[in-house]
Amino acid sequence: MANLATQFFGLELKSPVIAASCSMTGDLEQIKKLAKAGAGAIVLKSLYEEEIDTQLQEELSQRKALEPDPEYLDYFDYIIKDENLKDYTGLIRQAKQAVEVPIVASVSCISQSDWVLFSKKLEEAGVDALELNLFLLPANLEKSGEANEQFYFNTVKKVLEVVSIPVTIKISHYFSNLAAMIKALSETGIAGISLFNRFYSPDIDIQNEKMISADVLSHASDYLLPLRWTGILSSQTSCPLAATGGIHSAETAIKFLLAGASAVQVASVLYNGGTEAIAGMNQEIATWMDAKGYDKIDDFKGKLAIRDKHVALYERAQFMKYFTQKDF
Amino acid sequence: MEEYLKIEREKEWRVELRTKLKNKERTTIERVQMPGLDPIERIQYQDREVNLGLDEASAITEASRCMDCVNPTCIEGCPVSINIPKFIKNIERGEMHEAAKTLKETSALPAVCGRVCPQEKQCEAQCFYTLKLKKEPVAIGYLERFAADFEQNSGSISVPETAEKNNIKVAAIGSGPASLSFAGDMAKLGYDVTVFEALHEVGGVLKYGIPEFRLPNRVVDVELASLEKMGVKFERNFIVGRTASFDDLKEEGFHAFFVASGAGLPRFMNIPGENFNGILSSNEYLTRVNLMNAAKSEFDTPVLRGKNIAVIGGGNTAMDSVRTAKRLGAERAMIVYRRSREEMPARVEEVLHAEEEGIEFLNLNNPIEYFADENGRVNRMRLQKMELGEPDASGRRRPVVVEGSEYDIPVDVVVVAIGVSPNPLVPSELPELKVSRWGTIEVDPETMQSSIPDLFAGGDIVRGGATVILAMGDGRKAAAGMHQYLQTKQNNLVSEPSAIKNAD
Repeated sequence: MANLATQFFGLELKSPVIAASCSMTGDLEQIKKLAKAGAGAIVLKSLYEEEIDTQLQEELSQRKALEPDPEYLDYFDYIIKDENLKDYTGLIRQAKQAVEVPIVASVSCISQSDWVLFSKKLEEAGVDALELNLFLLPANLEKSGEANEQFYFNTVKKVLEVVSIPVTIKISHYFSNLAAMIKALSETGIAGISLFNRFYSPDIDIQNEKMISADVLSHASDYLLPLRWTGILSSQTSCPLAATGGIHSAETAIKFLLAGASAVQVASVLYNGGTEAIAGMNQEIATWMDAKGYDKIDDFKGKLAIRDKHVALYERAQFMKYFTQKDF
Repeated sequence: MEEYLKIEREKEWRVELRTKLKNKERTTIERVQMPGLDPIERIQYQDREVNLGLDEASAITEASRCMDCVNPTCIEGCPVSINIPKFIKNIERGEMHEAAKTLKETSALPAVCGRVCPQEKQCEAQCFYTLKLKKEPVAIGYLERFAADFEQNSGSISVPETAEKNNIKVAAIGSGPASLSFAGDMAKLGYDVTVFEALHEVGGVLKYGIPEFRLPNRVVDVELASLEKMGVKFERNFIVGRTASFDDLKEEGFHAFFVASGAGLPRFMNIPGENFNGILSSNEYLTRVNLMNAAKSEFDTPVLRGKNIAVIGGGNTAMDSVRTAKRLGAERAMIVYRRSREEMPARVEEVLHAEEEGIEFLNLNNPIEYFADENGRVNRMRLQKMELGEPDASGRRRPVVVEGSEYDIPVDVVVVAIGVSPNPLVPSELPELKVSRWGTIEVDPETMQSSIPDLFAGGDIVRGGATVILAMGDGRKAAAGMHQYLQTKQNNLVSEPSAIKNAD
């Protein structure tokens, strides 16, 4: 059988299929199942500073009955963060004890001091690598694109200064010059970049005329955006790339490997097909490799990454003749 | 209550007193200033009280500012419902003992409350002057202290009347303000009250937490003596849950319990370097000085001293710690608080006193890391500047990090005063007791009854953190709740063999 081993997160992985950060990876029993199913690595559910703040606000709003003293309210500022960190580091320790597969902590903060603090604490807890879930919605009219971009570089620099384990980042595609940005980020000393993080998206319910949450899970066609950018960038970055978003089948995973990704991160497929979906994907990738005569991932990884002959195909943006030839 | 207040207000002497001065004349009198020790002088002494108290003439003048309102909104602001106009009007007519007696009708610790209550947020915030006239309120706190001190200094201390003993034993666990208030009310109702204290000294936070320059121990001792005269018993060095269990106490005949064991578990920020030598909790720092006399040369209790002392936090405990540090010889004693002065939980007066004493306020600053010398002793702290964002769910503007604003300052002692966690002993002894995620005991906010019917709770163990007066309010509510509960139980005795009626 073909060897599925690959490298990402600065680590040797037994499979290119990684369990992405999601609610499932915040639960020890599910982590055990994912490991058993053959996940190459497991990225724990993200520790969000924003979520901690939401919890704080909920706690503050609930404490009406006994007229809390403001001194105690200040206390919540600290204890809620502390409790969240304790829970998360506890999960890391338990997961590290329970499974052999690499455990990666995912962290998403607002302030740089917390990026640093959280990263240090997670490293101390024994995690194998860190994934910084970096995202700044560029919606602030007062802030320049340059300032937004600087946030990414500053954060990476600060975290790299304080931890010695491999650090990877997961970013969005919201950059004015995405290729240059990813290339520059890849040169900061990080161990990998995952394209692209998936967000909560607002939607509108027209019957009730109110804001609602869009589908949480990805759709199978969502992979096209990261596929293009993986293909364009995988041969030009200084660190490996992984892909995430809409990877629902072994076939899609193979497309990314061909485009030059070192690994893929999956989440929605785990909700649709259970943890066993990973075992199925591993099996199908191996079968395809066997059929194609590939012994190892490196034999075909990046085969369809951007080369001179692919430039036009990856960088073409307009449909041009396609629709003019269609019958309506 | 309303009816009682009305009857009291219509007493002849009150009606007559109201006619002595027109309201217009009353409102033109300036609010009295509290005399205090000179800041340069007072920072030499840990045990000299800063506020000196009003003299009789100033107290009478201040009392005459009170207009004896038909609807005394000030009482609504008092967690123990002191009949404020009644005691103030007694001062105005020169009946100081009557004023003190009025305070004791509902407060077990008037001399304490007059010193440590945040009146500006409670009774004085609800004063007619504040609400309607937009003028400085009647100095209710100063007057409360005056009346209580007058009685204490006169040597003729009244003991509140107590009902005939009913021989029903009840226990209070902890001897802080919540317990003392509870004990006072239960003793008045005729119960046989025992207060169990884990330490060798009774008074809880009043003794180990609040420094003598703010609340002298002798003042607390007089209040404790009054409770003893009312029949309240104090058991020192007694840890309920260790020295004896709840079951042991039940066997000894205790019918109900009031748990006010406080929040004695210090919290830290859990930031890098916090374990270096020289960084300690405010609990430890203040207990060493207040309860174990570390500031006095004749005692060998060690306490950390330093040139540059930073105290983290903006509450009363932080103010007490930083002012103690100054008194212990710090050249630079600093408050580091991540919000602004406006959001500071400390009493306004404590902040003012701290400023007068040369305390430096690094507001809108947050520590993010500590550094140490080769011996592991802290020598530097990294601070990050903050700015205020939108209001949070508590209504206070939330602190937001100013990116790139980190800077270092030299420190040799750091006192962390960011709050305390509830004492876990009682909840751990009673697995069926319902506690919150934070370890606080969950109670009915009206009766303070917990999920165990014969167990009531109040103060820090319920709120996580409370001012003295809120804790006292809890004690009063719990006493009323427990009395009601025991009475109902007594009325259903016929079928209960282990009846309260048969109490020893």
